Amino acid sequence: MKKFIYPLLILLCIVTACNKLGILPDNIVQDKDAFASTGGVTAYFAGLYNRLPIEDFKYNINTGYNQFNYIQNLNNLTGESMSREAGSASAAQTGYWGDAYVVIRNANYFLETMPAYAFNFNQSQVNQWMGEARFIRSFTYFELVKRYGGVPIVPGVQFYPQQGLEELQIPRSSEQQVYDYIGKDLDTAIMLMNNTSEQRGRANKFIAAALKSRAMLFAGSIAKYNTKNISDPATGAQVQGIPATEAVRYFKESYAAAKLVETGGYTLYRASANKEENYYNLFFDVSSANKEAIFMKEYSDLNAVHSFDLFAIPNQMKGKDGYSSYMNPTLDYVELFDGLPRNADGSLKTIDAATGQYAYYDNPYSFFQAAEPRLLATVLMPGATFKGQVIEIRRGIYKGDIAGGINPFPGSVSPFPNTTNPYANNPNIVPAVNSSNLPSPMVDLPNGQKMNAGGLSGTYGTTGGSVTISGFFQRKYLDQRKPVADVIVNKSFQPWIEMRYAEVLLNRAEADYELMTAGQNDVDYRQDAFTCINDIRDRAGATLLAGAADLTSINVIRNERRKELGFENKIWWDIKRWRTADAEIQNRVWLVLNPIYVAANGKYIFDKRRYEGNQQFTFQPMWYYEQIPNGEITKNPKLVQNQ
Amino acid sequence: MKRTYIYTTIFCTALALLSACAKNDNYEEPAETLTGRVIDNSTGQPIQTESAGIRLRLEEQSWNNGQGVIPQYFNVKPDGTFNNSRLFKGKYKVYPMDGAFVPLVTTTTPIIDNSKTVDISGVTSLEFNVDPFLKVEWVGEPVVNPDKTVTVQCKFTRGTTNTAYQFNVTDVFLYVSTTDFVSNASYDNRFSNQVKYNGTDGNALLGQTISITTKGTLGGSRTYYVRVGARTADNVNKRYNYNTPKPVNIPGA
Repeated sequence: MKKFIYPLLILLCIVTACNKLGILPDNIVQDKDAFASTGGVTAYFAGLYNRLPIEDFKYNINTGYNQFNYIQNLNNLTGESMSREAGSASAAQTGYWGDAYVVIRNANYFLETMPAYAFNFNQSQVNQWMGEARFIRSFTYFELVKRYGGVPIVPGVQFYPQQGLEELQIPRSSEQQVYDYIGKDLDTAIMLMNNTSEQRGRANKFIAAALKSRAMLFAGSIAKYNTKNISDPATGAQVQGIPATEAVRYFKESYAAAKLVETGGYTLYRASANKEENYYNLFFDVSSANKEAIFMKEYSDLNAVHSFDLFAIPNQMKGKDGYSSYMNPTLDYVELFDGLPRNADGSLKTIDAATGQYAYYDNPYSFFQAAEPRLLATVLMPGATFKGQVIEIRRGIYKGDIAGGINPFPGSVSPFPNTTNPYANNPNIVPAVNSSNLPSPMVDLPNGQKMNAGGLSGTYGTTGGSVTISGFFQRKYLDQRKPVADVIVNKSFQPWIEMRYAEVLLNRAEADYELMTAGQNDVDYRQDAFTCINDIRDRAGATLLAGAADLTSINVIRNERRKELGFENKIWWDIKRWRTADAEIQNRVWLVLNPIYVAANGKYIFDKRRYEGNQQFTFQPMWYYEQIPNGEITKNPKLVQNQ
Repeated sequence: MKRTYIYTTIFCTALALLSACAKNDNYEEPAETLTGRVIDNSTGQPIQTESAGIRLRLEEQSWNNGQGVIPQYFNVKPDGTFNNSRLFKGKYKVYPMDGAFVPLVTTTTPIIDNSKTVDISGVTSLEFNVDPFLKVEWVGEPVVNPDKTVTVQCKFTRGTTNTAYQFNVTDVFLYVSTTDFVSNASYDNRFSNQVKYNGTDGNALLGQTISITTKGTLGGSRTYYVRVGARTADNVNKRYNYNTPKPVNIPGA
C-alpha cells in the first residue's frame, strides 16, 4: 500500500501544477495593477513623460533626444551662436519617428484602457488623466508634423499579429489633417483637464492651451509661407504644405489659445527689481512664485542629469573634465539688442564714424555698460563678472603709436569682407596665438608690467583651442552658483523650461500681426500685439515701443522672439516655419567682436569682423521638410518620401 | 582520451566556422548606365547649373508596382549633363528636379507629370527639356579694369511664358572663383558681388544690359573664372540660372 502512496502524491502534484501554467508572469505589471491605484497611474505617466520629445539640454542635431552631446545644438545653426565644433550648416535631421509612435501607442493604450478602470477613481481625476494622455499624444504628433509635414495618424492601439500587415500600414495624412488632429485633441484635453497640474512637471488645462497656441501658429505659418506643395499620389493627401486659405483660421486658433493661457494666472517673471538679475533668475526658479514657467522639465542629481555647464562654461572657469566654451553667441545676435554704443548712422561704434578710426573704451565691459539688461542676462560679455571672476577675452595687444589714432584693420569696415589673418602682417599688433598647444606671447607694457596677448577665455584659435571664437559666452541657463568642482560631466541639473509665458505672448503677438495683415478686424489686433510686445520689453528692460504704430513690420515681432527665446532651441523651428532660413543663411559668415588692448593708453578697442575661420553657412531650401527615415518606408511602403 | 575529445571539438568548430562563411553575395552588381542631358529650352543647350544644383530623381517601377519605393537621387553635373554607370537593371520613372526651372512634375493641382519612364539596361540615354525661370546671357566680354577689378555686362530675360512661374527677380550675382566650378556653390566671397533687388525692382531690368564689377582687387598674374547667376523668388529651391563660365586673365604686377 505504502508503495503506491508516493507515486500517487507525485502524480497529484504534477496534475495540479499544470493547471497554473495559464497565469501571466507576475514580474510584468498588468493593467489591473497599473490602473488600480493613483500610484499605478502615476507610474504609467512617469513612463510617458520620460519619453516626451522635449528638445532640452540633451538634444543633439544629429542623434536626437537624450544625448550627452549638446555641443551640436540647434542654436549653432540659426546664427544665435557659433562653436568651434560646428563649422557648417546642417539639415539637423535626427530621424525621430519610431520612438514617437511608441509614445503615441502608449498614450492611446492609456486612453483605451482607462475607462474600464474608471470606477477605481473619482471622475475629475479620470478626466484629468484622459486629458493628460491627449496632451502627450498631441505634443508628440506636433514634433513629427513640424519635421515631416503630414504623418500617419494612428486610429488606436494596433496589435500584431492579430491584425494583418495591410491594416497596420497607414499612409500619411495631409499636413493640414495632422494639425487639425492636434488642435482637436488639445481642445478635448483643455475641456477635460483641471486648472492645476497633479504634480510639478505635468500638464494641466493651460499647458495644453499653451501648446495649442504654439502648434496653431506653426500651422498658420506653413499655410501662409510654404510654397512647396507635394501630395501623396496614392491618396491625394497633401503631405507637404497647407492651402493658404487655412492661414487665418489657424492664426485665430492660436490667438484664442494664447488668450486662454492668460486666464490661468500666468505672468511674466518679475520677482526682482534688478532686471538683469531677474531675467537671469527666471531660468532657475522652480518655486511656485515663478508664474512664467508653464511647462518645465526638471532634473535631479540622482535621477536625471545633463552637462550644460560643462559645455558652456568659459575656459577660465572650467572643471577637471575639460570641455568648456562651446556656446559662443554671435555678434549678429548680440547686435539685435538695445543699448550698445552706436554711431549716428546706426552702425556699431567699434569705429568712430566721425574719425573713421577705432573708438577707445576704458575697459572691455564699458562697451556694454548701457546694454539692455536682457542681453546681459543672456550673453556673457568680455569684462563681465561671473562667479566672482572677470571674463577675460582679448584677441591681441596693440603696441604701436596711437598719436594719429588707429586705423581699421582689413575686414573691419562695412560690409565686413571676409579676411583671414587680418592681424598677421601688422607690425603694430601682437595677436594671440592661433593654437591650443602654444602659449600666446607675453607683451611688455609701458608701465613695466607684462600682459598675455590672449585672454584667459579667448579669443584666439579657429579650431582646437577651448576658448570663445566669437568674443562672447552664453549666460542664459549657465549656473553661476555652481562651484568649479561641480562643473564636470553629468553634474548639471538646472531645469529646462519648455514653455513659458513669454513665448505665449510672442505667439499671440505674431498671430495678431498676421491676422491684422490678413485684414481681420474683429479684435484690435495691432493694439493687442503692441501690448504683448511692450510687456516683454518692459520686463527685459528694453526700449519700449512708443505706440502701436511702431509695429511697422512682422520683423519687429520676429526679432523680439529671437531676443527673448534665444538659446532655447526654438529659433531653428521659427526660421523654418517662416521659410526665411534660406534667405537669411546663405553663404553667411557670422560676425564676431574681438577686444584688443591698446598698450599706449591702457584702453580697449573692439574689432568687429566676420569670423576669421571663414566658415560659411548655407541653409538649403530642401531642408524645410526632413526626410522620413528610409527604414520606416521599408516597413510601411505606403509612406511617401518627402522631397 | 580527453585530448582526442578536445582536438575533435576544435576541429569540428573550426570546420563549422570556416565553412559557414563560404556564401558570397551572388547578386549581380549594378552595372547599367543612365546618361543624358537636361536641355534649356531658351538656348537649346544643356542647362547651366552649379554642383548639386539639379537632382535627378529615379523611382523604380519594376518592384511592387513602384509602391513604397524609396526614391533615389543623383546630381546633374554643372554643365547640365548626367551620367550614372552603377544602376540596377529595371524600369524607372525619371525626372530632374530642384533646379531653377519650371518643375516637370507636380503632385498638387494643377497636376503635371512630364517625367519619363524607361527601362534602364545597358547604356540608356535620356533627354529632358526644361523652361528656365531666367535666361542669363553675356553681353560682350569681361573687361579687366586698370585697378584689377573685372567688369562684366550681361542680360537676363524670362525663360518661361507660364505666368505662374514668373516670379520677381531677387538678385544678380557676379561670381568669381579660381576654378571653372564657379557658382553659388563655389566662389570667392572677397571678390564676388551680389546685387539685390527689392520687390518688383528687378523685373524692370528684364532684357536690359546690366553691368557689374567685382568687389576687391583680383590677385595678380593668374586666371580667374567669372560667371553671372540670376535668381527669382521661386521660394522652393532658390537656385540660380547661370550663363557659361568665362576665364579672365589678370596680368601680373
